[in-house]
Amino acid sequence: MSSKLAAAPQQLDFEQIKRIIPQRFPFLMLDRVIEIVPGERIIGLKNLTGNEWFYQGHFPKRAVTPGAMICEAVAQAGIVFFHLMYPDHQDVTYLLGGIKIRFREPVWPGEQLRIEVSPVKVTSTAGILSAIVRVEDRVVAKGEFALATKDNDLL
Amino acid sequence: MKTVQLEQEIKALIADIIEMDPAQIDPDAHLVEDLGMDSMMALEILAAIEKKYKLKLPEDELPKITSVNRAVELARKHVK
Repeated sequence: MSSKLAAAPQQLDFEQIKRIIPQRFPFLMLDRVIEIVPGERIIGLKNLTGNEWFYQGHFPKRAVTPGAMICEAVAQAGIVFFHLMYPDHQDVTYLLGGIKIRFREPVWPGEQLRIEVSPVKVTSTAGILSAIVRVEDRVVAKGEFALATKDNDLL
Repeated sequence: MKTVQLEQEIKALIADIIEMDPAQIDPDAHLVEDLGMDSMMALEILAAIEKKYKLKLPEDELPKITSVNRAVELARKHVK
């Protein structure tokens, strides 16, 4: 393990997350990172309030969290994981290559997503990552996804 | 493990990832130029070989997966 990994922070607050991932309102789906084991796993949190923009339409008669937004939260946690492994990769764009996920339970306003990401196979330019999403101790979604990086001067 | 079995298993694994019928894949065909593999598929193939044969393959082996036969060579080098 490199010294950079050993020196990685143990938690990230919202402002630190914003320095890593480019998404902003209304598409920032990560509030905090509460656990970091460099190269092994991170656990991120997303608090879902009834005021989230997507509940207006999903659905008007009963708000339920869209699976697509859970995928986005997973992908953003993946970006943080990847960045902590390769902090020197500054000028890159992250692309979601694919995601295979199973949703086990609906997620309601007022609940907190606890997103655990760990590596399946990670190289310096891309990674296949595994994700388990929990609300309290219940697994609400589980799957694998692929992230790729592109140098910004190539886009 | 016999090479024939290894070749069949790896061809099936690659065919699944690049979404082709294994019978249509020439083991010497170039995965990128002839069969349309992209870099994410290459990583998926590497990860799938690692998972199936419980190996750890270094990142610098990734560019060597240019055909089914090269992937078989790679796996044979690491499978005990």
